[in-house]
Amino acid sequence: MAKFNFYLGAAASAWLLAILIVAAELISQFKTFLANAFTHHWIGKAVIVYSAFVVFGFLLQNKKSILNFSDEKAAWYSMLGSLIIIFLFFAIEFAR
Amino acid sequence: MRDLLLFAHIIAGLALIAFPIIILLYLKKKPKWLKEFSFATAAISWLLLLPSGKLYITFYPATKTLVKAGSWPWAHSIVMETKEHWGLLLPIIATVAAGLVFTGKTKESKKWWILLIILSALIGVMGRVVKIGALK
Repeated sequence: MAKFNFYLGAAASAWLLAILIVAAELISQFKTFLANAFTHHWIGKAVIVYSAFVVFGFLLQNKKSILNFSDEKAAWYSMLGSLIIIFLFFAIEFAR
Repeated sequence: MRDLLLFAHIIAGLALIAFPIIILLYLKKKPKWLKEFSFATAAISWLLLLPSGKLYITFYPATKTLVKAGSWPWAHSIVMETKEHWGLLLPIIATVAAGLVFTGKTKESKKWWILLIILSALIGVMGRVVKIGALK
């Protein structure tokens, strides 16, 4: 895709969201920092993840693959992986 | 205020199920309105953040207290926590799908529209589970 790489923007934001969630739940100071900086941790995650979508979409506009994965596959499996990790993380956290 | 936000939230959520279904039905025929309709669907997914965010931040804390004190605490700890974060990915998924339609990759957009339908429907069901959890 020219000008903006929707695939790699999506891949970056999907992984970043999973990382932010795990970090915010495991490190309470980080969750507090997000809440203080953005009025609420959920808004903080949203701003960071959507910024990453735009920034990486433009920065990686000419990349067709990443780590030997096509940008299409990287985006698809990153999105599914992020969705699964988010659910499993909260399920495991509750069970602990 | 709360009811208005709730209606907007539900209607926009339903649109994110219905609109992609319409898009999928016409994906092969590529009608003239497909790009505009795809853009509208992605726009709705972004606008949906406003009522959902307001409901979650302002009105959900009271419900959360009820859910956590009831016999279904997992309805918050697992279902709501997952739902509130899955919801953040809806605009990304819808934008990727619409972007593919705009760049002529309609065939490749198919699975992203399907994912949008499934995720929107799941999030709707999860909202219902949380609501029931508050009454348990």
